[in-house]
Amino acid sequence: MATRDLHMEEDEILFKPIESSGKNFYLTASILGVLVILGVIAYIYQYRNGLAVTGLSRQVFWGVYITNFVFFIGISHAGTLISAILRIVKAEWRLPVTRAAELITVLVLLFGVGSIIIDLGRPDRMFNLVRHAQFGSPLLWDVTSVAIYFTASSFFLYIALIPDIALLRDRGNSPKWLYQILSAGFTGTAKQLRVLDILILIMAIAVIPIAVSVHTVVSFVFAMTIQPMWHSAIFGPYFVVGAIFSGVAALIIAMYLIRKFYNLGDYLKHKQFNNLGLLLLVMACFWFYFTLAEYLTTFYGNEPAQMTVFWSKFTGEFAPLFWAMFIFCFVIPFPILAINRTRTILGTTIASISVVIGMWLERYVIVVPTLTAQRLASDLPTYMPTWVEWSILAGSAAFFCLLYVLFSKFFPIIAIWEIREDREKKREEIIEYVRERLPEKGEELEEVLPE
Amino acid sequence: MYDAGKIISGIIIFFILVSFPIWISAASGTIGDVPELNLPADEEQCVEDAEWMRANHMDLLIDWRETVVREGVRVYTASDGKEYNMSLTDTCLDCHSPKAEFCDQCHDYVAAVPNCWSCHVDPGGS
Amino acid sequence: METNRRVFLKVAGLATLGFMVTKPALDVFARGQFGEASVGEALDPPHEVGTTTKWGMAVNLTACSEKDGCTACTDACHDYHNVPDIDNKEEEIKWIWTAPYEKVFPEHGNEFIEDDLRGSEVMVLCNHCEHPPCIKVCPTRATWKREDGIVMMDFHRCIGCRYCMAGCPYGARSFNWKDPRPFIKETNPDFPTRTRGVVEKCNFCAKRLSKGLQPACVEACPEKALTFGNLLDDHSELREILATHTIVRRLPELGTEPNVYYYKAD
Repeated sequence: MATRDLHMEEDEILFKPIESSGKNFYLTASILGVLVILGVIAYIYQYRNGLAVTGLSRQVFWGVYITNFVFFIGISHAGTLISAILRIVKAEWRLPVTRAAELITVLVLLFGVGSIIIDLGRPDRMFNLVRHAQFGSPLLWDVTSVAIYFTASSFFLYIALIPDIALLRDRGNSPKWLYQILSAGFTGTAKQLRVLDILILIMAIAVIPIAVSVHTVVSFVFAMTIQPMWHSAIFGPYFVVGAIFSGVAALIIAMYLIRKFYNLGDYLKHKQFNNLGLLLLVMACFWFYFTLAEYLTTFYGNEPAQMTVFWSKFTGEFAPLFWAMFIFCFVIPFPILAINRTRTILGTTIASISVVIGMWLERYVIVVPTLTAQRLASDLPTYMPTWVEWSILAGSAAFFCLLYVLFSKFFPIIAIWEIREDREKKREEIIEYVRERLPEKGEELEEVLPE
Repeated sequence: MYDAGKIISGIIIFFILVSFPIWISAASGTIGDVPELNLPADEEQCVEDAEWMRANHMDLLIDWRETVVREGVRVYTASDGKEYNMSLTDTCLDCHSPKAEFCDQCHDYVAAVPNCWSCHVDPGGS
Repeated sequence: METNRRVFLKVAGLATLGFMVTKPALDVFARGQFGEASVGEALDPPHEVGTTTKWGMAVNLTACSEKDGCTACTDACHDYHNVPDIDNKEEEIKWIWTAPYEKVFPEHGNEFIEDDLRGSEVMVLCNHCEHPPCIKVCPTRATWKREDGIVMMDFHRCIGCRYCMAGCPYGARSFNWKDPRPFIKETNPDFPTRTRGVVEKCNFCAKRLSKGLQPACVEACPEKALTFGNLLDDHSELREILATHTIVRRLPELGTEPNVYYYKAD
């Protein structure tokens, strides 16, 4: 029964991570686990002693946590958005990439939302956001938008995962009960596959405007205030571009690690890295364009309140971070990605690491300098994050990676059924092609071609 | 029965642990204690009758809080028509201070931890 | 049998789920638009807070700068409201304080300002703006504008997100980074303290006003530099001052329209 005539021995390497765990896995998991514990300890310390244990102050009241919030939600655009767009335009090279991408979205959103809760002075009262919701506040727009995005992208990830879960169930992998429940009775009948295809398409289309709305309203948290260099109409699209930029970079890094540690070089090939590298190049150009537009208009307008912030970034206290951001976001990745010879698997990965670092700095350089140079600041206060904030950042990032690794230990990180379906389709296309031109060879070919 | 000794001693240890609070109160001599409320001598009745207050004082206080803070209304008309200033410290504690001899008696007894006192101050004691 | 049981389990499961989802949603509506609880008691005495009142304040710059280093208003306010005395710029909490003239009025901070104003300290507090940008961004309506113009804080509801601090262009709001109680020298039982993790600011002495008293700062000023009153009362002393002096307000270009006015004595 079940899953039609798919060959079980095919794609064996894709099942390997689920069926056996090597030394590397335990080493990685324990290192990540230690970092997670560090983050948890830091949060417990903060919960008991209050936000005074951070470097935040009366004037610089938002810092690393809010930076993390914007950054993590930005990374989430890697996944569902890219995967949805590539599905809709039927880009076949997407097949080995989509699940890795969608998974990033679902997991990283948790840490985006978590960052906000960590930042609250009274996390015990966070349900007031629902009980006393005041929809005039952009923060409520965030809550709404992110909740919808999380629901939609989890569902999107899950439905595209069902056939693979059924595959695991039929292979008899354990935990059996898990695959039994999650496979939702999927047996691969034509009707089920049709419903699945339609659902995936609907979700793919629905998820695009939701994803755009998410990062737009994240930017509105800042843009709706009248603080210098936050109150900017360009912030919505600027943040969306930054989000896709950092998201693609995160995806490339994930692909590199999956390829290396699970030996999936036959699936994640140069083509995937090259194409995503080109997308990253386009986003780098967009990012440069938006950054230029944002800062040039501020500079030319020369308003005193804005210029205080502007100079603190260009030549003042934040200059090292600002220029580091520029180097990491543009100077390093641009040439690597623009030159064919360096746009290799390793090259795009290095460029991506640079972009992820650069985009965290970008979020930081948007959040903090404005607060140190508010209109009526009597002196320029400084902000230096403490070990608590760094530990929580490290812990969140490690927790995300750990969940990602654990997921890959229970479910295939590459969509096996989609690859098989595609292979079958290709085979039929080739036979059809030959049959049309050389009718007598068609039969022969069908026997020769592996199923 | 296998390991009868282990099972039986396990059960005994379990019951000792479960009934531990009873033993400790018995040992400290507080086992029959009931809350002792220090009631004001010069007042006949609370803002509402005692029976109602016993059951509903927390709702009344939340209601006072919302009305005073959010609507800026400070006068409470009781069901007998008398008017009161809706204030925990000015009205309630006017009779019931120190809170240790009134509020805390029952709250401690039933291990209820109201968070009023993390901000509001009892003028009659800490 | 088997089918019946399964149907039952499904229905029960769905019902539980449905209840879990809809209960909080219904609660939101049950508590009224702004979440005020209603207990069904007779709560209908005349509103003390009405639309016939709009509180405002005028600060006499000349008189205020008369005494060097005077902190009478700050002390009175902070003592009354149990504002903790935390002596560092990072964690300090202040409801009313002074700042240099050029900082308070950056648009007046030109090179050739009058000598008597240059470098003088100006008393500042929450402006109780006509269009307060802080309340728009509060996600829980823990801060809102009363009908009498006071921008109030509900310490019971604040979740400590500090978005209102980002909304306020005047820096009028402070956050309790740590438990304030150890930093209060003498606690005034008339007014609550705050807990760690909430935002606080001047409330125009809402509690004193309800008792018919002037705000603590106004009462305490030895120079009588502060005038408090009803802006909607044509005959109030406040309106008299506003009508006969050149008035400035802070950051007028932002359109927040403060209800705290500054003027120079004749």
